[in-house]
Amino acid sequence: MRISADMIFWLQQKRWLLIAFSLGAVLYHFVPGPTGLSLEGYHILIIILMTLILILKEPVPLPAIALQLIFWQVIIGGSTPNEVGSYFMNDAVFFIMGSLMLAVAIVSQGLDKRMALGIIRITGNQTWRIVAGFTAISAILSSFVGPHMVTAMMLPVALTLIRFTPRSGKSSSGLTAALLFSIAYGATVGSIGTPSGGGRNVIMMNYWAEFGSGSLSYLQWMKMVYPMVLIEIPITAFIILKTFPPETRVLDTAVRRLLVEVAHAGKTTAREILTVALFALILLSWMTLSEDYGLGNIALIGIFLYMAFGLVSWKDLNSGVNWGVVLLFGATISIGVQMKNTGGAAWLAELSVGFLQSVIPNIDALRAVVSVALSGIMSNLLSSSATVAVVGPVVLNLGGDPILLGLASVIASAFGYFTAVAAPACTIIYSSGLVKAPDFLRAGWKMAIMSVLSLMLVALLWWPVVH
Amino acid sequence: MKFLLAISSSKYSGPTLKAGAIISQAFNAELNVVYVGTKHKGLEEGPLDLSRENLAKWNIYHPGIEVLEWAFKELQQICPENDELKSAEFNPEHIKQEHNRFKMILPTTVGCQVELTLREGELIQELREELRLDDYALTIIGGSQGTRNMAHDLIQYLPSSVFIARGMDLEKKYKLLLLVDDSEATKRSVRFGAEIAKTEQWEVRTLTVSKTKRFGSGYSGAAEKAKAYLEKHDIPVEQFFLTGDPVATFVDFARDDHIIIMGASRATPLKKLFFGSKPIQTLKRSNTPILVVK
Repeated sequence: MRISADMIFWLQQKRWLLIAFSLGAVLYHFVPGPTGLSLEGYHILIIILMTLILILKEPVPLPAIALQLIFWQVIIGGSTPNEVGSYFMNDAVFFIMGSLMLAVAIVSQGLDKRMALGIIRITGNQTWRIVAGFTAISAILSSFVGPHMVTAMMLPVALTLIRFTPRSGKSSSGLTAALLFSIAYGATVGSIGTPSGGGRNVIMMNYWAEFGSGSLSYLQWMKMVYPMVLIEIPITAFIILKTFPPETRVLDTAVRRLLVEVAHAGKTTAREILTVALFALILLSWMTLSEDYGLGNIALIGIFLYMAFGLVSWKDLNSGVNWGVVLLFGATISIGVQMKNTGGAAWLAELSVGFLQSVIPNIDALRAVVSVALSGIMSNLLSSSATVAVVGPVVLNLGGDPILLGLASVIASAFGYFTAVAAPACTIIYSSGLVKAPDFLRAGWKMAIMSVLSLMLVALLWWPVVH
Repeated sequence: MKFLLAISSSKYSGPTLKAGAIISQAFNAELNVVYVGTKHKGLEEGPLDLSRENLAKWNIYHPGIEVLEWAFKELQQICPENDELKSAEFNPEHIKQEHNRFKMILPTTVGCQVELTLREGELIQELREELRLDDYALTIIGGSQGTRNMAHDLIQYLPSSVFIARGMDLEKKYKLLLLVDDSEATKRSVRFGAEIAKTEQWEVRTLTVSKTKRFGSGYSGAAEKAKAYLEKHDIPVEQFFLTGDPVATFVDFARDDHIIIMGASRATPLKKLFFGSKPIQTLKRSNTPILVVK
C-alpha cells in the first residue's frame, strides 16, 4: 500500500489521539489493574487518562472528546447506555447550559456602556482607583454571574481606555497589563463567592448531593466563602499595581474620550431595564429558591423569560453558546459519578493520601493539602470546571468533612493564575494580544500565595464559626 | 492562475508581501493574502467568541484584522497601477465568516485580484484548508513562522508549488538559479523561472550537479533543453555544470544572492519523512529564497 502525504499528515496531526487510544488499549488488554481497585474502577481510570490526554492536546474537537467519554463508559466501563445517559444530564449541566445562554442574552444588550459610566463615576480618573475599581467590580459581578460574562463586558471598557491613552497599547505597558489583569484576576477571585459564580461550584454541589455528602444552600455558601472574596479584592488590586506599575497616574484624556464614546448609547431603554430586572429576579430566585428548584432549573426559567420577552432570539443563543462545553461537562460529570460508584475515586484518594502521609502526618492537614494541591495544579493545566469534575469525586473520598474539603477544592481550582488557559477570564485578556504568557507568571505566583493564605485564614478562623 | 500568500505580522512579513506581489504580477495571478492567527482551545472558544462579539460593538475587531489591514495598505503602495485596489477601502465590518475562516469583502473592487483571509489554527493545517478551497498554483510564505520541522512540512504537505521567501531582501539584486536535472518537475520549474525572469528582468543561471565527473545524457540533455527554452523566450542564460554533493553544491553556489528554483522530489512521502529530499535539505541549509515547483 502506498502511503500518501495526506495520510502521513493525518497521522502527524492526530498523533495524540493515537497515543491516547493506544495507551488505553495497552492498559486495558495487557496491564492488570492495581490491587485494591475493582476492574470497573480500573477501566474508568483508563478512560479518564485517555480523556485527560485528549483535553490537554486536543487532537480532535472538544465535542468529540465528550462523545468518546460517553461511548467508552459503555464499551469498557461496564455501564449501560441508559445509566450513562441518566448521569449525563442533571442540574449542574442545566446550570452550565443556562449560564452560557444567560451570558449571551445579557452581553448582547449593550449594558457594558452603562456599566462603564457607573464605574468611572465611582473611581474618577486616577489610575490606581480605576484599577482598584475594575478589580472590585469584576470580582463582585463575577461572583454572581460568572467570570466570562463579566470579562466580556469589562474588556471593551479597558481596551477603550488603553486605546485613548498615549503609548499604552503595547505589551510592555504597565497600564495595559494593570487594567487587563484587574479584570481577569478580579473576575477569577470573585468567581468562588457564590454557587452561581462558576460551573465548577455547581458541579461540586451536584457531587455533594449525588454522593450523599450533605449540602449547602446558596446563602450558606456565600456566608462561608464571600469573606474570602472581600479579603482578596484589595490585595489583588495591590499586587497588580505593584507588579505592573502604570506609567500614567491620571487617565484624564482617556476617561473623557471613554465618556464621549459611552454617551452615544443614549438614554436607558425599557429593554435594558427589563434585562436587569429579569436578572435580579433570577439572582433572587437562586438565593431563595434554589434548594427546592435547583440552580440550573432557575437559570433555564430565566432563559425562557428572556426569550418570551423577546430580549434574545434562539438563533443568537444557538450560535453564541458553545454546546461542546455542555456536552463535555455532561460527559465529565457522568464519569465522575462512575469513578465514585466503581471505587476508582476512593482508590485514587487513598493513593494520594498514602503518597504524602510520610511528609504530612496530620490527617486533616494532609486531606486539605491534597484537595487544594490537586485542584490548584490541575486547574492550571485544564480548566477550573473540568478540574472539579474530575478531582471532585477523589476529594470527596478523602474522608473528613466533605463540605469543607469540597469547598477548599473548588476554591483552589480558581487559583489558575499562572497560565492563560486556566480561567476563561485569563484566556480572554490573553487573546487581546496585549499581555504575554510571562506576565501571568509575574503576577500569578504572588496571587497564588495570597490566595492560599486567604484560604487558610478563612478555613481556620471563619469556617469553624459558621459551619 | 491564483497564488496564496501567507503572512505572519507587519513586523516580519514586509519583504514576503512585496515578493508575493511581484511574483503574482509576473504571472498576472490573483493573490489571496492569508494571515493565520492563534486558535484557542475548545474549552476557551465560547467565552472568547462572546467577548469578541462584544468588542466588535466597540469597534475593536477580531485579532488579526489589523494585520490584514496592514497588508492591504502595503499592497496598495506596492501595486500603484492596480486601480481597483487603489480605490478600494478596508472596512472591518465587511468581514464575512465562511468555511472556518474570515474573508474580507472588498466592495468597490469587482474583479480586483487581491483577497484577504484570516484563519486561526496550526499554520500548515490552515494553509492546506485554504488550498483545498480553490485551485492555487503557488503558496508564498516567509518561512520564519511555523512548526519544528518547517522545511519538511511546507514542501511535503502543501499541495501547491511553494515559494519560501526566507531572508528575502528586496533591495538586493538577485539572480535566478534554476536547478536542472532529468526530472519531470525540472520542465515546470524552468517554465516558472522563465515567467519571473521575463517580467522582472532578472539574470538567469542554470546549475546541473552530478555526483560523479560524468554527466549522463539525461542531465546534459535537460540542461540543453532548459537553455533552449529560455533563449527561445529571449532570456539570456548562463549554464553551470558542477560535480559534488548536490545539496552542498546548490547551497554554496547560491550563497545569498540567488533565488533558487527547483523541482519537487520524486521520492515517496515516507522516504521524504525519514530521509528528507533535495528540496527539503536545500531549504534547511540555505539562507536564500527558494521556489519548489510541483
